[in-house]
Amino acid sequence: MTSSLLIRGRGVVKGRAEGEALVADATLSFWGEVDPITGTVIAAGHPLEGESLRGKVLVIRSTKGSSGTPMILNLARLEGNAPVAFVNLEVDSLAALGCIVNGIPMITGLEQDPFAVIRTGDRVEVDADLGFLRVTPRVA
Amino acid sequence: MQLTGDQRAILNGERGPYLATCMRWLVEWGEVMGARRLVRCDNTHALLPVPNLMARGASRQTIDTYIGGLREACSHHTAPGCYCTVHTAFVTLDDLRVPENDPEQVRLQRELSDMAAAAGFIPTFTCAPYLVGNVPLRGEICAWTESSAVVYANSILGARTTRHGNESAIAASLLGLVPEFGVLLDENRKGTLRIEVSAALTCPTDWGALGYFAGRLAGLGIPVFNGAGRPSQDDAKQLCAALATSGGVTMCHVVGVTPEAPTLAAAFQDDVPGEFVPFTADTLRDTYASLRKHTGDEVDSVILGCPHASIREIAEIAALIKGKRVAPGVRLWVDTARATKGGADAMGYTAAIEEAGGRILCDTCPTNLRIAARRIVTHGFKQAHYARGMVGAEVIVARTEACIRAAVAGRWTGDE
Repeated sequence: MTSSLLIRGRGVVKGRAEGEALVADATLSFWGEVDPITGTVIAAGHPLEGESLRGKVLVIRSTKGSSGTPMILNLARLEGNAPVAFVNLEVDSLAALGCIVNGIPMITGLEQDPFAVIRTGDRVEVDADLGFLRVTPRVA
Repeated sequence: MQLTGDQRAILNGERGPYLATCMRWLVEWGEVMGARRLVRCDNTHALLPVPNLMARGASRQTIDTYIGGLREACSHHTAPGCYCTVHTAFVTLDDLRVPENDPEQVRLQRELSDMAAAAGFIPTFTCAPYLVGNVPLRGEICAWTESSAVVYANSILGARTTRHGNESAIAASLLGLVPEFGVLLDENRKGTLRIEVSAALTCPTDWGALGYFAGRLAGLGIPVFNGAGRPSQDDAKQLCAALATSGGVTMCHVVGVTPEAPTLAAAFQDDVPGEFVPFTADTLRDTYASLRKHTGDEVDSVILGCPHASIREIAEIAALIKGKRVAPGVRLWVDTARATKGGADAMGYTAAIEEAGGRILCDTCPTNLRIAARRIVTHGFKQAHYARGMVGAEVIVARTEACIRAAVAGRWTGDE
């Protein structure tokens, strides 16, 4: 059995969720860079290009760009393709709005660098009510 | 967050469940973003598009739920005194016979447009409201969607708006309120990144390159451009759009142009960092190169008007194309607002562009339409950036004159 790691942070949008981590030390715009029908990242050359966001705990620096982010997140959720939680270094007001409207928890201000300690595929439990993540490394 | 008695009553459902939901969005959003109160907002730019996902396999339920929300919004009236305009749609309401302009979607969008107008929204369907009469005054509190327009409003006009999404802009339109956070407050309008511009910027696309370069470095911060000179309105439009494409920028300072940044010191609120990033002639060239990865020279689409073209840009395009013909098989589209096209029609520019084989597209843009294209030449860094993913095309970003030459030749012929 692998041991899990507990990381404290600040719950920005409350709620709890669990899923597989999808990690990139990068920014992402939902409008224009995410296809809500397939749930995949379509931005050419983006480190997450081709990856599905469906059911994932999305660990990125922040969202950026278009004000369409909450709308695309909403459409992706209606199609069952939205991430289950956001773990961000910085709070982009549009991601925060999208999370509030769609009931998706968001956490920031982690006491450890998420890009150093969370890898794509790790199991992550997000508790934005109490403000922590529990990371269980995937079995290599 | 401190709410007044009236605001709390709305939150508790006194004006019905939908306005209670709108109030909840604003309050929760404000709390997350550190706002202490709601403030009056008399100017919004809202997003009311029918999604273009039906043909690509979205469930009927998704579409119905989404449009149901917009219909609900439009069954209320905008707040008294609030100037409300509307962002682009995913179709053109004109009779454009391309497969992407789905007739069912057009029908639904027209219906929604009528409902929005009855609710008090002006159905401008544009990404550049400041070109069609919604020109907020310095200090005016706004709730705008469209990241490029947000940057323009804050940085060029000196108005104040955070970046809004569709729900918050609808809520602000109906309630006339926004949570007070971010660039609504003086202390959050201070520059965070100093960029010293030594490159000569000679056309709007050059300014777009500056923005595309700086947005990536600035992230969610506020870049300050020193030494860039005075942009034209069209230059400023490209700068702001590109900043909001590569970054999450809400405002920038162009020293000497941004109303609150007459000097470098003012842009940084007297706390000028010694460190800066240079933007040189080499940086300019490299930034163009980053959106010019193409495997051949044949071109099928030339897209102008991202963000939506100004009447001056349309006049310039009409003059450049006069007496020439767009090459067979090439689509030359100039995207603009319906209000601007009305002027272009009256002034003869539309006829000049159509005679040459081009067309003026209203209400939307090719990436929103998701046109089928293999290789696009465009003068907009924003269009070039997003077209790669959304349309799956190769892109070449270039100044307007070179775009027109490519349209006429049917292939990329270089910058000069």
